[in-house]
Amino acid sequence: MELQQMTKPEISKLKHQNMLQKAILKAKDKSALSWWWLSIPLYILASLLMKSLFVPSTTLGSNLHDLIDNAKYSSILFFVIVPILFLVINFISIREIHFLSGSPKPFNFLKVVWFNLLIIIASILILLIYLL
Amino acid sequence: MTELELLNKIKTDPAYFSEIFKLYYTSIFGYILRRTGNFDDTADITADTFFKAFTHIKNFSYKGISIKVWLYRIATNETNQFYRRKQKRISLFNKIDFENKEQFRNYLHQDRDQLEAELKRHHQFLTVLNALKTLPIKYQEVIALRYFEGKDNKEIVEILNINEGTLKSLLSRGLQKLREKCNQI
Repeated sequence: MELQQMTKPEISKLKHQNMLQKAILKAKDKSALSWWWLSIPLYILASLLMKSLFVPSTTLGSNLHDLIDNAKYSSILFFVIVPILFLVINFISIREIHFLSGSPKPFNFLKVVWFNLLIIIASILILLIYLL
Repeated sequence: MTELELLNKIKTDPAYFSEIFKLYYTSIFGYILRRTGNFDDTADITADTFFKAFTHIKNFSYKGISIKVWLYRIATNETNQFYRRKQKRISLFNKIDFENKEQFRNYLHQDRDQLEAELKRHHQFLTVLNALKTLPIKYQEVIALRYFEGKDNKEIVEILNINEGTLKSLLSRGLQKLREKCNQI
């Protein structure tokens, strides 16, 4: 087969290798979106829940509707856009972790992605409370 | 030291990752260079490959595949993403800190000169590579792994995570398409 016989470019030594190695060993992986953003709607929900428990004749639903009426755009940002963004990012992240972990066993994989799953559950919860 | 022993050492002390660099950096760099035919793209993609490997090695499951196959898998994925994006990527070299950036750029420049000269010596290879790059990515990866890297079916199946039947059919159709492209040149 001609393709096998054809000579190909080969590499014996790369001068930049050692410096790159040292730089990568010192580097840290930075996430594009901090999970702290999700704590904002969770905090608001917790406050509304407390309000509905301690203020007579109010419910979580009515408090939430008041908030939507008073702050339409920020409620859409924190209760719809942020959770959807987190859902997408975490699904992509789980897919990437599965690929980069070299096809791990289900239990080992769950140990690695438990936090991503927690974020997904919290995001779905926020979306459901807002939409229902 | 076996791969498993090395992995255990890396998990306790990440500095042992330098052993993986020593063992596989040039072979992965060579693989990506033979996929792209361009030094700068290769340097970027290889750096991304090793950065991803370094940040995820603590989760790496040794029982699934070997470290070498795992690195080839990441490198293949990074190269494919590079072709799919078809846009200028932000180089990892701009995002990480080097002890002496000027010295690093100097070394990179010397490596570029050496490898560009090496690429020019293989005119026939460059012609075939340019034809190969016009084919869909699924054909590019199997042909590169088989004929440029000399991998056997078992290794390619592991790297690409596909079954042998699919590999044989991709190779057969890919070679036919490549032959047609080369005849047009």
